[in-house]
Amino acid sequence: MGLSRRDFIKACAAAAAFAAAGVTTARPEWAEAAEDGITWGKAPCRYCGVGCSVLVGVKGGRIVSTKGDPAGPVNKGLNCIKGYFLSKALYGKDRLTTPLIRKGNRMVEASWDEALDLIAAQYKKAIAEHGPDSVALYGSGQWTIQEGYVASKLMKGGIGTNNLEPNARLCMASAVVAFMNTFGSDEPMGCYDDLDLGDTYVLWGANMAEAHPVLFSRLIDNKLKHPKVKLIDIATRRTRTTKMADEFIAIKPHGDLAALNAIIHVILRDKLYDEAFVAKHVSFKRGKENAPYGLKDKEAFNETPADVKNLTFEEYKALMKPYTPQWAQKVSGIPAAKIEELARVYGDKSRKVNSLWTMGVNQHSRGVWVNNLIYNLHLLTGKICKPGENPLSLTGQPSACGTAREVGTFAHRLPADMVVMNEAHRKKAAGIWGIPAEKIPAKVGLHTVEMFRAIDRGELKCVWIQCTNPFQSLPNLNRVRKAAQSRKAFIVVSDIYPTRSTELADVVLPSASWVEKEGVFGNTERRTQQWFKMVNAPGKAREDVWQLIEFAKRMGHGALFPYPEKGMHRAIFEEYRKFTLGTGKDLAPYGVYAKVRGLRWPVKANGTETRWRYTEADDEHVAKGEGIKFYKAPNNKVSVWFRPYEPPAEVPDRNYPFWFCTGRLLEHWHTGTMTGRVPELRRAVSQATVELHPEDAKRLGIRNRDQVRITSRRGSIVLTAEIGGRGTPERGSVFTTFFDEKKLVNEICIDAFDPLSKEPDFKKCAVKVQKA
Amino acid sequence: MTKERDDSGISRRRFLKEGALAPFALALAAAGGGTVYLRPGEAHGFVLRPPGAIVARRFLAACVRCGKCAQACPYHSIRLQDRGVGIGTPYIAARHTPCYLCPDLPCVKACPSGALDQKTTEVEKVRMGTAQIVDREGCLSIRGLRCEVCYRQCPLIDQAITLEPRHNPRTGEHTIMEPVVHREKCVGCGVCENACVLPKPVIVVRETVEVQRDSYDF
Repeated sequence: MGLSRRDFIKACAAAAAFAAAGVTTARPEWAEAAEDGITWGKAPCRYCGVGCSVLVGVKGGRIVSTKGDPAGPVNKGLNCIKGYFLSKALYGKDRLTTPLIRKGNRMVEASWDEALDLIAAQYKKAIAEHGPDSVALYGSGQWTIQEGYVASKLMKGGIGTNNLEPNARLCMASAVVAFMNTFGSDEPMGCYDDLDLGDTYVLWGANMAEAHPVLFSRLIDNKLKHPKVKLIDIATRRTRTTKMADEFIAIKPHGDLAALNAIIHVILRDKLYDEAFVAKHVSFKRGKENAPYGLKDKEAFNETPADVKNLTFEEYKALMKPYTPQWAQKVSGIPAAKIEELARVYGDKSRKVNSLWTMGVNQHSRGVWVNNLIYNLHLLTGKICKPGENPLSLTGQPSACGTAREVGTFAHRLPADMVVMNEAHRKKAAGIWGIPAEKIPAKVGLHTVEMFRAIDRGELKCVWIQCTNPFQSLPNLNRVRKAAQSRKAFIVVSDIYPTRSTELADVVLPSASWVEKEGVFGNTERRTQQWFKMVNAPGKAREDVWQLIEFAKRMGHGALFPYPEKGMHRAIFEEYRKFTLGTGKDLAPYGVYAKVRGLRWPVKANGTETRWRYTEADDEHVAKGEGIKFYKAPNNKVSVWFRPYEPPAEVPDRNYPFWFCTGRLLEHWHTGTMTGRVPELRRAVSQATVELHPEDAKRLGIRNRDQVRITSRRGSIVLTAEIGGRGTPERGSVFTTFFDEKKLVNEICIDAFDPLSKEPDFKKCAVKVQKA
Repeated sequence: MTKERDDSGISRRRFLKEGALAPFALALAAAGGGTVYLRPGEAHGFVLRPPGAIVARRFLAACVRCGKCAQACPYHSIRLQDRGVGIGTPYIAARHTPCYLCPDLPCVKACPSGALDQKTTEVEKVRMGTAQIVDREGCLSIRGLRCEVCYRQCPLIDQAITLEPRHNPRTGEHTIMEPVVHREKCVGCGVCENACVLPKPVIVVRETVEVQRDSYDF
């Protein structure tokens, strides 16, 4: 018996089609096929937020092959080079296979019971002495939906603290706040189909060619097919994206805030806006200004409804008057004529304009504002909620959307767009969780930067880190690493390899990864993708859900997790799904996801997915004849915010004359804990380098591959110079990548953050550059 | 995994340590330099020589096997052959350590014999060989995957290697980004060969084929 791979793929495509059409087929849930003794199963890729589907070949209890899944709607059988070597990420020689407990400077092997008992004892002691807000859990946008859900229920519904954060605070938080304050609901209205259907793409500080490789290949195909398609790259650095773009517009760091305001100014001045759309769908608002940068501990800033002033369109126009292109030219470095031209691109009725952005906008001390301003462009011109015409916030982690955002593992969130501050939301959550509503605290927990500062201050006694590597990825790293080294808190780290975080832990727990467990991820375009466990984790490694539930039992919260051992993941998902039904974020039953290559929520009553939200053409929450309806926004009206220009937290000066920016490259992912174990990827790119503009390099006497010392007010590091390589920063800027665990580049970064989203700015601080 | 090409060289240290070998090699070079019977030794394959190396048929005669170029190389990219007629002559095993094209070309400066041409001063003018994609069907980029590691690692990115995008008919909605080597720019440093992620690199440095002149102008 057994199907060939070809038959398997065909059958899967058919199953997907049936499921999409609402027909249930009588197929075994764990669809499999055998060829040469290899059993194939489907899973979303473990790395970025694009959400490629891969086929995983298992033989003899080991993954022997992975390949792009031809039935995967996102990638159609393709992968990037990281995805090609996916299986090797799990088979590094130094996998953690047993719990380890710190005894002085040594880590000693322990049993699960010893480790979990110790953790529970420490958490209980801290809670008894200092209350539940003295403990925390720091998770990840790489957690599965089940892991995030269990974590949220345990911390918020069980232990009674909102000190739960995902590393997505470092990457998507600004996008989240802007989605909420503009549309009243998180996540995009459009989807990847817009990349095929539009004709104008404006990239705001996004190196899509390297950070979203397969998606970029899809975007470029649209350009190849249609000569009208125009790709405009607005960035502080020339990248591989620039090379394929039609136009590159250099912008000064933080200049986006000025340029966007000036584009809006021109749109208003020249009446390029869509009068009818604005009248029907938009309300104008002005928020709190003169915001701080979060550099002081416990610096509080909130934009409460009382701070928000409603404006008329005329008032808004008057406020936008001073933001002329000439003014913006000085601040942003973009010539005034170019700004006028961009305004006409956005205002051109014959063009289907899409804006794309990621970390350049989100990791920004005014990230929410920049997100708001991009939405303003689309809302004023009415270029939104139409096929091929949308703003699309790209994500960087496989389940930043699915887990961190939809499940709501932030310090202020509950599942499905709910927040802990809202009594009705707490009541709904408590009802589903079967606990009294007062169990869930209304006080917002510590956000990521404050969480690790609280360790330094000695206020946080216990923190458990799962599935992420904060002691490499946080800004102003020296401070938090020193706090951990001086053992100011009891630190638990669950991971699959030794990392720069496990080296600082009191207890290290070995985790199962990816297809060593069952799970669900949610990608950028609202696509929810499920996979089954295919191989066993090595040694004593156990999945994070199991670790959390075993810990919960020891903390006396075991009753919150009455899931059967068999079908646990299904039971958790089905419970979580109750939060989504009827909210416009509706998910399908678990069994459906087992069959298809993901569905984009809201999933309709007939079982089909939604490609475009808020439009009668596709969203069933909008009645026929209503056209576009922003049904999640108050009074169905979305907000156009007036967001002024405010300067960055730190600017280059005489002592520190260069801008410093960090980012990704194609070969490695995040802190390199997985891709760093793949010999081929290490061979391809073995270390972090610092990119300089050739003229700056010449002036400083730095040649290619020289050692260069980069120093900021917070730290200093030596990197190899790369001049004229894959990326070239503008004059006065240097750029490096953060994947290299031997080079803790985040020691340089400032821990300034956006006052609304609390997302740190990894893209700008001031440094000096010297030949080492 | 197949055996790496030309990776059997002795280390510079060992070569210099075993001083007895050097006079032997020098003697051999002096005795056999330029003789006809040496040529077949090179026929089986191309040897990647350091920057500025003069044409292969004169190189063996000119090189005095002093090892100074290897000593001057900061990356230990230059090794010395430990067997055959070329014993003691410098070569680069690109798959192991390629040439990183030092802007001041210390290896050339160190050469006392003229085997490395002293007139070589600009790295862009170096012609050690030319990279070629030798297995198009194996190349991941040509198969539509977003690899292109050779392109992004190329020290002359967008000159020696460019990406030529074209529609991928297999998926119908993606782009094949094919790395294309341009022989008039490629210096043959071997960084691409070193970086290729496949077990047997599909891009390797080979002998530079002379540009054939014809009257066709385009």
